[in-house]
Amino acid sequence: MSIKSIKDQTYYEVLEVSHTATPKEIQRAYEQAKETFDVDSLAIYSLFSEEEVREIKEAIEEAYRILIDEGLRESYDQSHFQTVGALPTEEPSEAQEVSDEKRTSLSFTGLSFNAEGEVYRGKALKQVRERMGVEPQTISKETKISVKTLEWIEEEAFEKLPPLVYLKGFLKSYAQSLGLDPQKVIEEYIRFMEESKNK
Amino acid sequence: MGRNRVGQDQASHRKMIWTIGGGKGGSGKSFITTNVGICLSKLGIRVVLIDADLGGANLHTFLGISPPALSLSDFIKKRVSHLHEVLIPTAVPNLQLLTGAQDLLNAADAKSVQKRKLVRSIQSLDSDTALVDLGAGNSLSVLDFFLISDGGILVVTPEPTSIENTYRFLKSAFYRRLKQSVSSSSVKALIDGAMDRKNEMGIQNPYDLIKVARGMDEGDAQRMIEEIETFHPNLILNQVRSKKDIEIGFSIRSACLKYFGIRLHYLGYVVYDQDVSHSIRRRRPLVLENPRSRASQCVMEIASKLADSHKMSARFKGDEHQEH
Repeated sequence: MSIKSIKDQTYYEVLEVSHTATPKEIQRAYEQAKETFDVDSLAIYSLFSEEEVREIKEAIEEAYRILIDEGLRESYDQSHFQTVGALPTEEPSEAQEVSDEKRTSLSFTGLSFNAEGEVYRGKALKQVRERMGVEPQTISKETKISVKTLEWIEEEAFEKLPPLVYLKGFLKSYAQSLGLDPQKVIEEYIRFMEESKNK
Repeated sequence: MGRNRVGQDQASHRKMIWTIGGGKGGSGKSFITTNVGICLSKLGIRVVLIDADLGGANLHTFLGISPPALSLSDFIKKRVSHLHEVLIPTAVPNLQLLTGAQDLLNAADAKSVQKRKLVRSIQSLDSDTALVDLGAGNSLSVLDFFLISDGGILVVTPEPTSIENTYRFLKSAFYRRLKQSVSSSSVKALIDGAMDRKNEMGIQNPYDLIKVARGMDEGDAQRMIEEIETFHPNLILNQVRSKKDIEIGFSIRSACLKYFGIRLHYLGYVVYDQDVSHSIRRRRPLVLENPRSRASQCVMEIASKLADSHKMSARFKGDEHQEH
């Protein structure tokens, strides 16, 4: 995209998605854009005037309203690009790049955006730990949780795990040592455990 | 000069020169320069770390070595005949240190010819890549060095003050790059005026600037657009503590695209880690002292990306040689 005023940008450019973006990609791009131009966003601090932010936010809402609706999007494409053949050449989509990076290169510390909504069950925790190259013994030393209990947590050996009140404490310490959000890990692990038990 | 994705100007045969600047004092530029340099050298790339921090050159301290007796000044003032004589060896294989570059950048009369001479001197060193710590300076010499390197890297922490300073640095570099690309003196003056948001011409952003410039000199306006399209600075977010912090990097990238029309490359992030300050206090680089720490892993990931672009660049140069 060469430099353009927000008013001159296509809806695809406003949301930084490609012309072939799926509804899921559009949704993600919209959420990302809303976060970027939120009133409390650090990323826009000192760069844009209030008026510019207001204009961009309006453009984001309008672009989303049109592109998320199949019928409206089709009419928009027809009126703006005449025929499918007239669609501009695809450039790598910014939103797609963001999504890919969040899933891959930025996931190695376990702090990354959980783009696929992966549940923090035992297997996921093990995967994060292994990606970090940390042995259970190290976690055990740090958290004072026995290696055996850590293995049970990772192997989802629910019947061997301690009572809930202790388990929550263990999950909290384990999540903190991996740099994950403890609250999220506790909630998702317990939910997954209860669902598995009820099956 | 050719262009590449992660860098800016890429000359034909030379080694990659990365400059680390922008942001604010204390955002971790020297820490990142040292540790990324070590990671690259561990990957088999011959690295020279260059200290050009006007605010306080101390890369040697990060490496745990005493203040060096020789510096670039000794070469410039002809006290030694070859630049490699002022290179300081380190305990890390493939890694050398050059200090004193700040003296040249700091000189009030540092002309562009001197800066280019510095680049040529660095190019002549027997190494594959150079990492230059520019510190938090915002002077014209620092901006020029940032712009003439192969890749400028901004290090920012997820705090308003750090982001504000980074944008200030980026704006200065951006407008300086535009100014250097145009020939008409009236357009040059227009760019100077546009730096001030309260300018009388009502120019609020780069888009307004191009619009007004188009009315003055179509050729210059076109050259400015080309400069914008080929300007790809890199970003490292340091001291992140949460997923939300990591995502600020993506938001900064998006904000830069909307405001400047430039594609910033988000190289990666480094998590906040107590081990970092411990390693600095012990004067032992983190990636050597505690390579398994989370911050070390982040630094390694960033170094791998730079190594990849180094390989791409080498391949690109190889192709060029074959073509000729």
